[in-house]
Amino acid sequence: MHTHSDEALVAYLDGELDDAERRQVDAWLAADPAARERMAALAQSAELVREACAEILDEPIPERLIAAARGARPADKAPAREAEILVLRPGTGHSRVPLRHWGISIAAAAALFGLLLGSGGTYLGLRLIASGQAGADQQVATEANDIWLDNAAGYYKLTISADNLLIDVPVANDANAALQKISQRLPQQVRAPDLKPWGLTFRGTRLVVAEGRPAAELVYVTDNKAIGPLSLVIGATKLPDISPTIDHRGGINLVYWRHHGRAYALVGRADVGYLWGIANDIAWQLDAI
Amino acid sequence: MSSHWIEAKAQGGADRRADPADGEFDDRLIAMLPRLRRFARGLTGTAAEADDLVQAACERALTRRHQFEAGTRFDSWLFRIVQTIWIDQLRARQVRKEDGEVGDEQLGSDAPVRRIEARLALSEVRRAIERLPPDQRTVLMLVTVEGLSYREAAAVVGVPVGTVMSRLARARIALHQALARRSTANAHPQ
Repeated sequence: MHTHSDEALVAYLDGELDDAERRQVDAWLAADPAARERMAALAQSAELVREACAEILDEPIPERLIAAARGARPADKAPAREAEILVLRPGTGHSRVPLRHWGISIAAAAALFGLLLGSGGTYLGLRLIASGQAGADQQVATEANDIWLDNAAGYYKLTISADNLLIDVPVANDANAALQKISQRLPQQVRAPDLKPWGLTFRGTRLVVAEGRPAAELVYVTDNKAIGPLSLVIGATKLPDISPTIDHRGGINLVYWRHHGRAYALVGRADVGYLWGIANDIAWQLDAI
Repeated sequence: MSSHWIEAKAQGGADRRADPADGEFDDRLIAMLPRLRRFARGLTGTAAEADDLVQAACERALTRRHQFEAGTRFDSWLFRIVQTIWIDQLRARQVRKEDGEVGDEQLGSDAPVRRIEARLALSEVRRAIERLPPDQRTVLMLVTVEGLSYREAAAVVGVPVGTVMSRLARARIALHQALARRSTANAHPQ
């Protein structure tokens, strides 16, 4: 490499020259004002590149990427449409019959039945179609719920992955100011429950995506490593209310529930018994019960 | 406490403590998503294409997780996957942005140097990156943005270190010239 070249200047800026090469470039820079100006321009353009790309790190990660990183199967990536019917009950076993097969088989059977038996049969067939549709809707809702929980766990992993936590809006002195800031990007105002009695301090918020809409992830920290950081995801939902439910996704524990158009998930590695108590407190404080 | 809470907890099963070792690979992959998106955005130029690329890279990384060598850089391994898929896509689509490429003849070291105005919009910088040839864009993102050494970038791209140096220098010079031209045009609109 010629030490009086742009290549040398760029490598010099990147700290990629050995001692001898660096000394030669130093001498060149000392003797040539044009070389100094050129190096300053190269340094500035590099800084602009870094600055231009930096904001991408702060963008909310799309749900589909969280799903892809946790190895979701293609069929799990998105429900065919928004689910609006099912009321999930904790502990209820839901059918795992593939949606497409279930819907088609019921509809086909019902139609055939109606054709064979005339109007009476048609009536019965329609009832069967409706029944099949309800089952399909239930399946869609279950899948939507699964995705939401998997992604809530995924967002938690993403947030705690950085040493200083990956937080968009840190709480400096005024928690309300941080909440106001994140709320500007959300369809609804968000409040942060006070979890100090549990030894948890509100650290800040991060914008995430839930059910395809912006949602807030509130991050709480504690010195107790057995509890670790916890996050509370609050998002809008079109799904009906659901009682609090315990789940476990990808090594992460969750307590989740839905109330009046909002979905809540308390997420962490702490024992679910501990999470349960906190979630109960949160629900009371946010009037979400 | 409402009956909901009592009933639901009873049905929630025995208490389980999450195992931090569960899905360690997935956790590391999730943690890399912001940087993978940034790298992919630098390559493709658009958010949608970049996210498609990252999604494909995640899927490939998971299916080839056994190929990752413990003790080596996880980020470099993932960048290589992203870059490989992107190159495959470019070849398949033949979508090189020919009009945006900067020829060698434009990159002489005697080109006039102009100070870039601080007011230059960052979106213009991103557009300037998009106009770089793909091989230059790749090393620019790996070294200047992602902070890999020349040797590490060479391993990701699969070329000698000297090639990384020359591509990077051309990219930085071309970028500087493009931004300087833009800055001048903004300062003296027609």
